Amino acid sequence: MARRLSLQLTGRPLPVPSRARFLPYLLLLPSLVLAAGVIFWPVGDLLEIATNDVNRFGQLRGFNDFANFKALVADPNFTAALIRTVVWTVAVVGGTILISVPVALILNEDFYGRDVARVIVMLPWAVSLTMTAIVWRWALNGESGMLNSALRGLGLIDTNIQWLATADLAFPVQIGIGILVTIPFTTTIFLGGLSSIPPDLYEASALEGAGPWQQFRHITLPLLKPFLNIAMVLNTIYVFNSFPIIWVMTQGGPANSTDILVTHLYKLGFRIGKLGEASAVSVVTLAILLVFTIVYVRLAMREEAR
Amino acid sequence: MSRKWKRTLVAWVLLAPLMVLILFPFAVMTITALKPQAEVLNPTWWPSELRFRNLVEMWDATNFGQALLNSLYASGLATVGAILMSIPAAYAMSRFRFAGRGLVRQFLLVSQMLSPIVLVVGLFRLMASLGLVESVSAVGLVYMAFNIAFTVWMLQSYFDTVPKDLEEAAWMEGAGRFETLRRVFLPLVTPAIAVTAIFTFINAWNEFVIALTLLRRQESYTLPIQVFSLVAGRYTVEWHHVMGATLVATLPVAILFAWLQRYLVRGLALGAVK
Repeated sequence: MARRLSLQLTGRPLPVPSRARFLPYLLLLPSLVLAAGVIFWPVGDLLEIATNDVNRFGQLRGFNDFANFKALVADPNFTAALIRTVVWTVAVVGGTILISVPVALILNEDFYGRDVARVIVMLPWAVSLTMTAIVWRWALNGESGMLNSALRGLGLIDTNIQWLATADLAFPVQIGIGILVTIPFTTTIFLGGLSSIPPDLYEASALEGAGPWQQFRHITLPLLKPFLNIAMVLNTIYVFNSFPIIWVMTQGGPANSTDILVTHLYKLGFRIGKLGEASAVSVVTLAILLVFTIVYVRLAMREEAR
Repeated sequence: MSRKWKRTLVAWVLLAPLMVLILFPFAVMTITALKPQAEVLNPTWWPSELRFRNLVEMWDATNFGQALLNSLYASGLATVGAILMSIPAAYAMSRFRFAGRGLVRQFLLVSQMLSPIVLVVGLFRLMASLGLVESVSAVGLVYMAFNIAFTVWMLQSYFDTVPKDLEEAAWMEGAGRFETLRRVFLPLVTPAIAVTAIFTFINAWNEFVIALTLLRRQESYTLPIQVFSLVAGRYTVEWHHVMGATLVATLPVAILFAWLQRYLVRGLALGAVK
């Protein structure tokens, strides 16, 4: 009331609209220019290299009728890496969600030491993937790794296990570590979702005789669904792109048997010097990511519309 | 009361396997870093003595100081730049309704989806054409660009929670937009800016691919690359030094993160609810 009064007294209009028309664009300009320059310029460049004949020094020598893409399709290493990427992504994202839902449910309960438990669960998020992978590489060392000595000490194994020597063992181990480092972010999203569920829903259903399992199925799960969707899509994008775990632990080896698309791409570009094919892998990866992103934007917009 | 104790017991028992897996690498890192060298390759768990001198030797043996400076510089540059650019951008997104606002939001979202590894060939060519390979500043600049979406998103979600009435009241009093911004708005959002800055710093601190690709000489290595170079393609690895380096590089950031983690959660949640 007093405010409106003072407005009438001074008679000044709010200094917002007319002359400020260009202001928001001006304010946004520096950040958009930087992001576009560093992020979108390379995208254009990649499209150009991928469709050109290119030597190992990066000189373009003309459009080559998609020969780079044809070379990819003909390369068994690429197809193997593509399939492995699907396995990697589905296993890590699926495993993470299966573990994170119960973990979030537990951390949402009121118990002694909950703050400590939350901090511990969040810890892997704070450590760089590079460092995590280096520590695991040492812990999984076949001769003197501390995992082997721990398992021997507990009497679980007699002879050392060569964890990273074959893909049969190395790849599942890498998936496990992938899950471990993805849990914090996912649990965080679910905790946010759980805290948005009004507690009286549970009280009301308890009065009507619903048990914990029924409450979970008919209240928690449906209300958590948008958060499950977001976690699934965002994690798919992150995991699909995840480079350090595999690169640091095995560099895609032994004999390319743990390569996923991004490690294959890095080898093509910076080990073998096939820039054209590396860019073609980038373009394929970008196309797949674009699909995921569109799904995410759709989901986010639907949430916003509510 | 006893109900809560029972809940506590069940919760910790259920969480125990995960906790062991999470804490295991930290234990490996700490124990190896403090073992006498002769015992490192021995498959025993506990060292005969805790050798803190290892960490001092590690500092010189692993070129830790130089890499630390490079990491501080690249992350600091990225943080200051990204924050200075996103404050006005987030303010515009939070306080103005203008044509193309939705487009900017989508642009930011999409730019967040594109991770450095996918663009690495293009990024390398961009930097090579500018003569910026080996430049730690260029690495900082790339980090800056890749963090802009995150900082604008975080800051905007916090700016939106500051009621407009306060600024309007200041305008009534005759203060101009800039004056209002400086005297009323910015003091209110300083904590949010600080938190966002710290997370940007941690993001940059932990980055791997860009540094691996753009920095080829040891003098310009950042910490993750320096530590990785001690492990990759070597026949003999001084694991107690490597673990010492990861420990010293990781611990301060992990503590900072654990302490601030709930603000990140809140900021992301605010952004997600929007």
